Amino acid sequence: MVSTATTCPFCACGCGFFLLAKNGEAAGVAPGESHPVSAGKLCARGWCAHEAPSWGSRLLRPMIRRNRRLEPVPWNEALDHVAGRLRELIAAGKPVGVLGSARATNEENYLAGRLARAGLRTNHVDFCYHSQCRPLLAGIEDVTGGSTRPIALRDIESCDAVVLVEGDLAKTHPRAAASVLKARTRGARLIAIGCARTQMARVASRFLQVAPGSEGEAINALLAAALRAAGEEKQAARCAGYDALRGDLQAVSATDEIREAAEWIAAAERAAFLIGPSAGCGDASRKTAAVIATLAAVTGHLGGPGSGLLPLLGRSNARGACDVGLAPDRLPGYEPIEDGEARRRVESVWGKALPSGAGLDADRMIENVSGLVVLADDPAAVLSAGQRARAAIERIEFLVALDAFVTPVVEAAHAVLPVASFAETEGTVTNMEARIQRVRPAGPLPGDAVEGWRALAELSARLGAGGTWNSAADVFHEIERAAPRYGGTAARIFDGGWGSALTEMPEAVRFNVQAAATQELTTAERPFVLAWDGAFDWGGDPLVSFSPTLSRDSQSERKLFPNGFVEMSGDDADALGVRAGWQVKLGSARGEAIVPIRRRDGLRRGTLLAPYAFRDCLAGVLADEGITAVQVERA
Amino acid sequence: MQPLVLTIAKRDIAQWVGALLESGKVIAPVRGPCGEAAFCRIESPEEPLWEFENPLAPPKQFLLPQTDPIVAIRRNGGVTTVAPIYDDAPRILLNVRPCDVRGIAFLTRMHEMEPADASYLRRRANFTLIALACHVPCRLGFCVCSDSGPFLSGGYDVQLTDLGERYLAETGSEKGEAAIGHASGLFRPASEEEVAQRQRLETVARGRFGDQTCHFASAMRRISTRRVDDALWEQMGDWCLECGGCNFICPTCYCFSVKDRGGDGRWTRCRMWDSCQYGAFTLEASGHNPRAQRGERMKRRFFHKVSAQYYVRDGATGCVGCGRCIKVCLGGTDMPAVVAAIRRRAWHEQ
Ligand code: SF4
Ligand code: SF4
Repeated sequence: MVSTATTCPFCACGCGFFLLAKNGEAAGVAPGESHPVSAGKLCARGWCAHEAPSWGSRLLRPMIRRNRRLEPVPWNEALDHVAGRLRELIAAGKPVGVLGSARATNEENYLAGRLARAGLRTNHVDFCYHSQCRPLLAGIEDVTGGSTRPIALRDIESCDAVVLVEGDLAKTHPRAAASVLKARTRGARLIAIGCARTQMARVASRFLQVAPGSEGEAINALLAAALRAAGEEKQAARCAGYDALRGDLQAVSATDEIREAAEWIAAAERAAFLIGPSAGCGDASRKTAAVIATLAAVTGHLGGPGSGLLPLLGRSNARGACDVGLAPDRLPGYEPIEDGEARRRVESVWGKALPSGAGLDADRMIENVSGLVVLADDPAAVLSAGQRARAAIERIEFLVALDAFVTPVVEAAHAVLPVASFAETEGTVTNMEARIQRVRPAGPLPGDAVEGWRALAELSARLGAGGTWNSAADVFHEIERAAPRYGGTAARIFDGGWGSALTEMPEAVRFNVQAAATQELTTAERPFVLAWDGAFDWGGDPLVSFSPTLSRDSQSERKLFPNGFVEMSGDDADALGVRAGWQVKLGSARGEAIVPIRRRDGLRRGTLLAPYAFRDCLAGVLADEGITAVQVERA
Repeated sequence: MQPLVLTIAKRDIAQWVGALLESGKVIAPVRGPCGEAAFCRIESPEEPLWEFENPLAPPKQFLLPQTDPIVAIRRNGGVTTVAPIYDDAPRILLNVRPCDVRGIAFLTRMHEMEPADASYLRRRANFTLIALACHVPCRLGFCVCSDSGPFLSGGYDVQLTDLGERYLAETGSEKGEAAIGHASGLFRPASEEEVAQRQRLETVARGRFGDQTCHFASAMRRISTRRVDDALWEQMGDWCLECGGCNFICPTCYCFSVKDRGGDGRWTRCRMWDSCQYGAFTLEASGHNPRAQRGERMKRRFFHKVSAQYYVRDGATGCVGCGRCIKVCLGGTDMPAVVAAIRRRAWHEQ
């Protein structure tokens, strides 16, 4: 049994464990007490992380599609073919793009972005999960004016107040939930805001139950009460828009419940504000994130030690993917593409002029490019477009998939390059605390697979953008120069132990505070709010779908409900006279759909939640906006 | 058979370990790359740790691996053959703590019950257990409460006690005598004073527990007679994040599921660790789940570990007091916390 210290590939808590391998194959997991994040505690996904790499359908040979069939070819032939076809498309004036992944390492993602910009000369570069996490990050940036250091999980444990806008933290981020529970046992007040009485809501000191999309209203009320609480004026000097905020909130009244909760936050020496992907997406999440950041700012819990915000990113390396520049409008360092200084820095590292103007994001890319390189992801499983994304992908003239697993993208691809899974690769990932951590190989590469960074380096060389990297560490050293916040971390990363270092991030000092705009979604005619559950659908990810233990729940759910379902509160179901499994007819401004219901205790009345996995079944009533008002009747 | 009571000088220990290495695979706690102790197969006599906090992962991985191939299935033309896979390699588990020896005894008793599990039992039969008694209790352990430490009164092949300059070695089986026999010249019979010193160390160690205690008896009375309110289970269930860590890290938990993998006419059936705290553990094909709620699953786990019904069947509580669940449990619903809540009839104040 060989034991390798590495980082969990699932959520962005970034737990560490020892991956155990037997005869070169991942066979078990042992927790690591000394790990700076997890400290010996893992969730079910972490405990079963060894399963997918050894049980999954793995890609073993490079392949090219000939006569409609994928045929194995030698590596050189595959790489030459991919480079040649992409060059042809560019020469013909057709757009090409690159999608990195929140499941790939920083080194892989960095080289994917570099391949796009320096090799293919395009800013069409993104990663699919970005569409889900960008609004959260953008909302925080709206208030802080740039990236700001998130609060660390360990620091949550010593907070006196925790504000949580869920999702379902216990399921999405169990390690973070453990930190909240720890704080709770130490007497911290927990204020949970969401539409369902989840596990965290049940242990909360105060649960503010709101309709999906109306989180901002509850936070406005907390804000209004906090502003009225004595002593909050002291933050005014740091907050641009403070007076306007006061004005906006003048008329907002607060119940005693809210007033008390606001007092807990205001009086807390340390407070944590956790923002999950709430219902709906895009603008609504961005505004919720901004108003939560505002609440943190006006109560003096932003920009100081021991307090702060934590955007709850769903997938392991979402933050790293942003940091290394996987965005159509950002450069390595997550700096805007027009930022002259950042451009000059990246150009000097790459020795290439950068293309100008923002590129297409993942949603638009799959619809508009003729050539697409997809690294370790299945856009149709992640993007809100679902099956429409699947159809778009299948229309692409030349699709290249780099993956460790056989995914639907691989099945649609014209060229397939087999790369290592997390269990066989060297590299780094960055968790939601902005901590860079090591990923280490626990066993040899299967078949002819190579490490992802190596495949991308080879491809880059063929497209005139090669480098002199001999290891993932060489790539990391280049990232240090291209993305300054990673600078100077190498010594701690490559120290031989866990290898973990917090990135250099500025503390925000001045804030642009703002209240949430509120609007009523429902009407007398359509009195229900139907929304996607914001939690990332792990059931569609190969790390879960290929794990016998982890896929049990999601697979049986998919089998039992092939046409999807919506969750409804028991009271609503009784009022409508429908039982679990019965069909209801939903009608929105967009159209109609008939789906079975599942009763969910503790869901707010008037709310229907649809798992993200089943969004296609509801495409007739609810599309990319993720939230809408509906009429419900027994079908 | 009269047990041997011998001693060996500390400076000779490496030589003995060298002799053990010649007789089989030796597994012992070693210092891992991240600074923590972990059970690991050793290659050289200097590797084992002699002063260490018991590793977070118990030696269970070596007896009952997380992924364990148990059956080879072959199909050739129309003929399918099914052959058990056995692992008969001789292994020596060195410096295993008393609680873990008791954990292995628990696993063995369970696998011996009809139908006996040959896969486990054959691997177990080839293990020699060389225990290292705890003259200083570990930080979170409460083995005194479950009668599984800090010293063993049986169940070991050899038990070592640190006497300062020398180790006292008590044999408990022929396998133990054989382990000493590999380097018998390094051992000499213990003096009366050395035996007395071992007794004193045990008494002192027993008196030094205190940080963690776990009063099983009264909790057992309530659990066995179903006098724990369902509301309490439900409340504690809200603190369980369904990680399964309590099961995986527990020296006595053995639940598993079975999966086949392979293809092209060759498959391997594997036993894989599973957790009774997972929602889908008892999920039936119809979609019905007899233990759909976390609280129900937690109740089940504690019923197995702490009820009189199971105590009678297993001959011991299903807890050896190692304290590991305190470290891994995400929600703090570990053994001592739950036992205390049952006695108090309330989960902790918030
Ligand atoms: S909490 Fe997240 S990072 Fe930690 S073990 Fe679970 S999935 Fe992995
Ligand atoms: S270790 Fe704790 S949180 Fe994890 S399953 Fe067991 S009781 Fe639940």
